[in-house]
Amino acid sequence: MTKKSDISKTVSRRSILKAGALGTAAMSAPMFYAKNAWAESQIGNYPIEGDTVMLGFNVPQTGAYADEGADELRAYKLAVQHLNNGGGMLETMTPNKLTGAGILGKKVDFVVGDTQTKADAARTSARRMIERDKIIMLTGGSSSGIAIAQQYLASEMGIIFMAGLTHSNDTTGKDKRRYGFRHFFNAEMTGIALSPILADTYGKDRRAFHLTADYSWGHTQHDAMKRGTEAQGWTTVNNLMTPVGGPDFSQYLTAVLASDADVLVLNHYGKDMVNSLTQAVEFGMRELQKNGKTMEVVVPLFSRLMAQGAGSSAIQGVLGTTNWNWTLQDAGSKAFVEAFQAEYGFPPSMAAHTCYCQTLLYANACEVAGTFYPPEVIKALEGFEFDGMGNGPTLYRAEDHQCFKDILVVKGKSPTDKTGEFDLLEIVGTTPRDVVTYDASIFGGELGPYEPV
Amino acid sequence: MNNFFLQTLTGLQISALYMLIALGLTLVFGTLGVVNFAHGALFMLGAYFAVEIASQFGFEVAIVAVPILLFIVGVALERGLIRHFYERSHTDQILVTFGLAIVIGEVLKTIYGANNIPFAKPTWGTGILRLDEYLPFLDGAVYYPKWRLILVVVSFSTVAALFILLQFTKFGLIVRAGMRDSQMIAFLGVNITRRFTIVFGIGSIIAAIAGIFGGPITQVEPELGMKLLIPSFLVVVVGGMGSLPGAVLASLIFGMAISFTAEYAPIQQIIIYLIAVVILLVRPRGLMGKKGLME
Repeated sequence: MTKKSDISKTVSRRSILKAGALGTAAMSAPMFYAKNAWAESQIGNYPIEGDTVMLGFNVPQTGAYADEGADELRAYKLAVQHLNNGGGMLETMTPNKLTGAGILGKKVDFVVGDTQTKADAARTSARRMIERDKIIMLTGGSSSGIAIAQQYLASEMGIIFMAGLTHSNDTTGKDKRRYGFRHFFNAEMTGIALSPILADTYGKDRRAFHLTADYSWGHTQHDAMKRGTEAQGWTTVNNLMTPVGGPDFSQYLTAVLASDADVLVLNHYGKDMVNSLTQAVEFGMRELQKNGKTMEVVVPLFSRLMAQGAGSSAIQGVLGTTNWNWTLQDAGSKAFVEAFQAEYGFPPSMAAHTCYCQTLLYANACEVAGTFYPPEVIKALEGFEFDGMGNGPTLYRAEDHQCFKDILVVKGKSPTDKTGEFDLLEIVGTTPRDVVTYDASIFGGELGPYEPV
Repeated sequence: MNNFFLQTLTGLQISALYMLIALGLTLVFGTLGVVNFAHGALFMLGAYFAVEIASQFGFEVAIVAVPILLFIVGVALERGLIRHFYERSHTDQILVTFGLAIVIGEVLKTIYGANNIPFAKPTWGTGILRLDEYLPFLDGAVYYPKWRLILVVVSFSTVAALFILLQFTKFGLIVRAGMRDSQMIAFLGVNITRRFTIVFGIGSIIAAIAGIFGGPITQVEPELGMKLLIPSFLVVVVGGMGSLPGAVLASLIFGMAISFTAEYAPIQQIIIYLIAVVILLVRPRGLMGKKGLME
């Protein structure tokens, strides 16, 4: 048995201090040399346990945007396949730290949720994936209202949200969050890119009637188009807000018929756009003469999926903007289209493209940061300049987490011009990135801190 | 004048579709006492059948075949499921028919997917009609889609046919008597159960007509039934449960209200509910409902 006097003899105050100092130095040394490791703490579902990293894909499988949701999901699955095994845009993206062996040595797995094209359902589904499935990154969308709702939730819970298809200025404007990132373009860019081409094609003396989906995206889309076209000399006759998911737009189209407008601007998306455009054609709005001019219909946010739903006889000659088109011939687009077609037998939509890119961009940012620690991944994405993903040189602007790239203006092809079932849009113009870049402060909002409160 | 006329016409065609769906609902409630929440799903089924048959054999064949198909579906449904709920509470009836609507919706989603499928109109119904050539009081060129005018005509013709059937035929007389006192009619040796089965089948035929002529307007998708069932059910309640003239009147009020408030977004989206609240506060049995029924 050791006596108390023996202990005091062998363990002196000085030796305790020495050991303490050595121990502190020894413990802090590896942390000091590991990149940013000293700052890391538990945030969201970081640190990840095990050798699998879980991603959450929350897409609308039902509701007005189900078409887009289905295609988004296909793209996400393809992205996971490429992250784990290589291929696709991993071969074309620059700079690129992805090797096709998962992310930071961990195999990529995923869970899927259904937003039902409803904000509350999307939040419930996202929360389940965060809390139960322990996802490290949340992605999805197809509606700005839903994307914004998920972005707020993800930010509160310390999960990075890589937005899917969301086009409202608010997503990276007044509702921007430090944990939210958008690759897709937005309504402001549509207004800037589309308006001059509309004025060139239809003339500067036009009177426009807007029908607008009554939520965040529709409102900002209307504002941007109103500003853009009025700057070109157009007059905005009226704007009617329409509920999302309505099967019949006849009451609004009657108001358009009764007005002296000679252009109908449909600020609708998904099934709503398919319905409103089809019904506008039914009401004769592609053939009527108003103010001595042929009446025209404009769809500011256009996609191949919507064009398919409405049919080429309805969309022929209709102008709009799109984030990406499968007919692009750059190396990144070709690699993605080939991989997607090989897997599913038909070309991807722009919704699929943006979701695929977002997944790869997140994974690459983790590799660049050398960690899944969200604040470091965020820093790796902020100001990231990249190429080879189908849109030319692209910047993830640090100030608002919005991607800036060239914007495509497209026109619906006529039934005789199209070469196949999916060849529905013709690119009629490309507005350079510099032209569509706007001041980050114009829409207000605050990104918030790197570490969630 | 033109504006007012166009809005009235739009109000009529909105009413037309509500009327067709509400008519089937209220007919089944009025005769069988069943609150059939699967009626929207039957309408949707009619639209899907019509798309399939019209694309394979032509629209004219669909006009004949779909009502027959839906009649068979309706009779099978009544015999196999609904009749077991005649004596049960309205809550049970709503639950079982609502469940049935969900099942039909999900089956259609599994077969056709969640997206809308295009439903092309026949050539004779495509295009716009220049109304000022027929109506001299209109000032200048006034156009309206042909198909929507056809829907209005079909809807009102269906209403008229149903009234004639119930008011001026022996079948109608027996059914109306059965609605008053089915036990007495049975004592008189009339097989009222068989008549009621036919009534359910007729309700399904009306749903089929709505699907054939409404489908090209609303597009065909698996949530369509539910989207139209709610306002149509409201039409039935406001019109008075089981009252056919009530359903017609309420449809017209709703259609006109939706059309004339189109330019006032905040009101437009809630107008039918506002009307329902006001009418039911003043007259709980609905506009033409029987005293004591659902009051």
